[in-house]
Amino acid sequence: MTAPLFKYGLFGDEISLIVAFGIGIAFGFVLERAGFGNARVLAAQFYFRDLRVLKVMFTAIVTAMTGVYVLSRMGVVDLSLVYLTPTFLWPQIVGGLILGVGFVIGGYCPGTSCVSAATGRIDGIVYVLGMIFGLIGFAEIYPMVENFAHSSALGQITLSSLFKIPYGVLVFAVVVMAVVAFVGAEWAETKFGGKKPDADSLLAPAKTLAPSRLLAGGIVGLGVIAAVSGDPYRGPFARVDTRELALNAGTKADHISVDQLADWLVQGRNDFLLVDVREPAEFAAYHIPEAINVPLAALSPDIADRTERIVFYSDGSIHSAQAWLLLKSLGYSNAYMLFGGLEEWKDSILFPRLAADATPEQKAAFDKRAATAAHFGGAAQTGVAPATGTPTETPKLAPPPPPAGDGAAPAAVKKKKKEGC
Amino acid sequence: MIETTIHRQNPMIDPAFHAWGWEIPVYLFLGGLVAGLMILSGYHIIRALWDKDRAHGHYVTAPILSLALLTVGMGALFLDLEHKLYVWRLYLTFEVTSPMSWGSWILLLVYPALAASALLTLPQTFPKLARRLPFCSRCAGALHDCPRVVQAIGFANMLLGVMLGIYTGILLSTLSARPLWNSALLGPLFLFSGLSTGAATIHLLAHVRRPDSGSDDFSDAVLSALVNWLRPPAPGHVGTQKLEHADNSFLTVELLLLGLFIVGLLSSTEVHQRAVELILTGPYAAAFWVLVVGCGIVLPLTLQFLQAQHRIRSTVVPALLVIGGSLALRIVIVAAGQASAWTVASH
Repeated sequence: MTAPLFKYGLFGDEISLIVAFGIGIAFGFVLERAGFGNARVLAAQFYFRDLRVLKVMFTAIVTAMTGVYVLSRMGVVDLSLVYLTPTFLWPQIVGGLILGVGFVIGGYCPGTSCVSAATGRIDGIVYVLGMIFGLIGFAEIYPMVENFAHSSALGQITLSSLFKIPYGVLVFAVVVMAVVAFVGAEWAETKFGGKKPDADSLLAPAKTLAPSRLLAGGIVGLGVIAAVSGDPYRGPFARVDTRELALNAGTKADHISVDQLADWLVQGRNDFLLVDVREPAEFAAYHIPEAINVPLAALSPDIADRTERIVFYSDGSIHSAQAWLLLKSLGYSNAYMLFGGLEEWKDSILFPRLAADATPEQKAAFDKRAATAAHFGGAAQTGVAPATGTPTETPKLAPPPPPAGDGAAPAAVKKKKKEGC
Repeated sequence: MIETTIHRQNPMIDPAFHAWGWEIPVYLFLGGLVAGLMILSGYHIIRALWDKDRAHGHYVTAPILSLALLTVGMGALFLDLEHKLYVWRLYLTFEVTSPMSWGSWILLLVYPALAASALLTLPQTFPKLARRLPFCSRCAGALHDCPRVVQAIGFANMLLGVMLGIYTGILLSTLSARPLWNSALLGPLFLFSGLSTGAATIHLLAHVRRPDSGSDDFSDAVLSALVNWLRPPAPGHVGTQKLEHADNSFLTVELLLLGLFIVGLLSSTEVHQRAVELILTGPYAAAFWVLVVGCGIVLPLTLQFLQAQHRIRSTVVPALLVIGGSLALRIVIVAAGQASAWTVASH
């Protein structure tokens, strides 16, 4: 439940436990206040006498659904990062049936049984104990059913992707379904439970705008907005601010020079991600130290956090510029390309040349370049060619020395955190 | 020249030197609990002198229970000793500046005070046992005939209880090598934690030993209480309600002291800030916020507040939470304190 904030790395394991404690208390409190600690209330819905469970659950569903939709349209939540439980069709049907049988026998679902046990009900305590023994039993027989449990895998699917209907239309449909269910529940409670509808019931004949009607109207309104306002996923389609991009490119705010990159690498800075967008074979032949290889075709929208500083390079400038444009359009604010690419890196950093007729100032600056070249495994070329002449034979590239650490390139994505629902 | 120590105080050998295991937190917990029980039962003994209706309260079991708990706590302390056979040497001297010396002498005085109050309450606690021990009954009767002696026993219990409760905290705060413990507030904090635990324990006893169960036998009462332990105590018992009020005040003071303890360290040197961050956001944060603050103080405070207003029924749950939270407080403070060190300043 702490998923979105925890996953963005806003807090660590310790704080996530504290947040989970708070959410758990609040969740238990709400369930208890809704009366879900009582098996009779839970069972009454199957006799259509008291449909509190249906109302509370549907309210929770539409609140979460419209809330997540609105937040993702506002750009606060990235829906593609929200964890979805993968679907295994047949195992989940069987598991659902077992859960249903347990629900019928015990009168609780797992969550409500904890609420019931916490309020001191004996049947709730017995149910929780049964659940614990059931878990132990399942863990014991799991090796026998493992093959079945992994069968008929459908991956992470959503209703909108399965039925090929727009996400917003689905939100609208569920909202309408919920309002119909609320009205139907009120009707059933009157018909089977003998309850008189409350004054602010959706069924009541009064013409006033009771709070419940306002809320129902509001949620339907949100559903209508969702239906017409498009897909909330940050998918392959992106929008770009062309003026901003043009300004970036025009003021050279979009690139860094090879000298700057060399300085960063010599200083051992690790606040940026250096990405080589060439093919793996070329990457294996030579790459700038600390770089990771992400071929242009494999560039995914989730390469790193959207605020991370990313530097692209390729042989020249074309491929890195394309990668830069792609990531800019996906909302990465700190994407850069290496000006001149690997060619410039070789010419200026690895094998700098000094003209024979250089001034003393140029010679002094060249000493620093020679030291930098030696650091990256290159060699300075003195006096072999004039500064403005055509380059002579390019020396053979020596592979860079292995990094000092364990040799692994810095991971593109931060440590993967626990998935959870 | 860089001088390097090659024993365990070198952070590269032992980043956090944990010398104390479970024994010390358990002893501190039981010591604090006994201190709270002594103060409460001492107060009750004095009150009972002029208010005869209160003579049969839930407090009567406290002295005998305290004796047993303190013995268990002393056993844990003994297990922690490096040279167990030399324990008697503590009683050959008295060092004014050593909290350990103070503690060993306080503990030596606590026992007779507890034994006297236990003798005083024996006929009420275990009537059958008292009938079999006529000497004890006669002694108790003789004591009851001298109100001044009874009063002295009550005062002695209260005074020694306060000393014992504060000492459990001062024992830690004088160890200057551990920055987390460098706060004199640990003494009052542990005292009030002990008081709330004591009140919760007596509350628990009120549920276990029901005066209306009709049986004098303690084991019978325990069994019957186990069967219906979730029921509220018999109506009309003002005692438990007063206990809830008292426990709430103790918990509130404890919460305030805990806040002051944290603020005090946070406004101190960087070493102390790093030390208190261990329990605020560091590796002990989850245990501290969830078990100590959440389950140990805020939750029982809320529950007892609602109980006092008769909005929810009275159960043993808050009492159990308070006792668990008090133990967790000692474990977290002792463990995090040992993880804190002055060496963080050089990192």
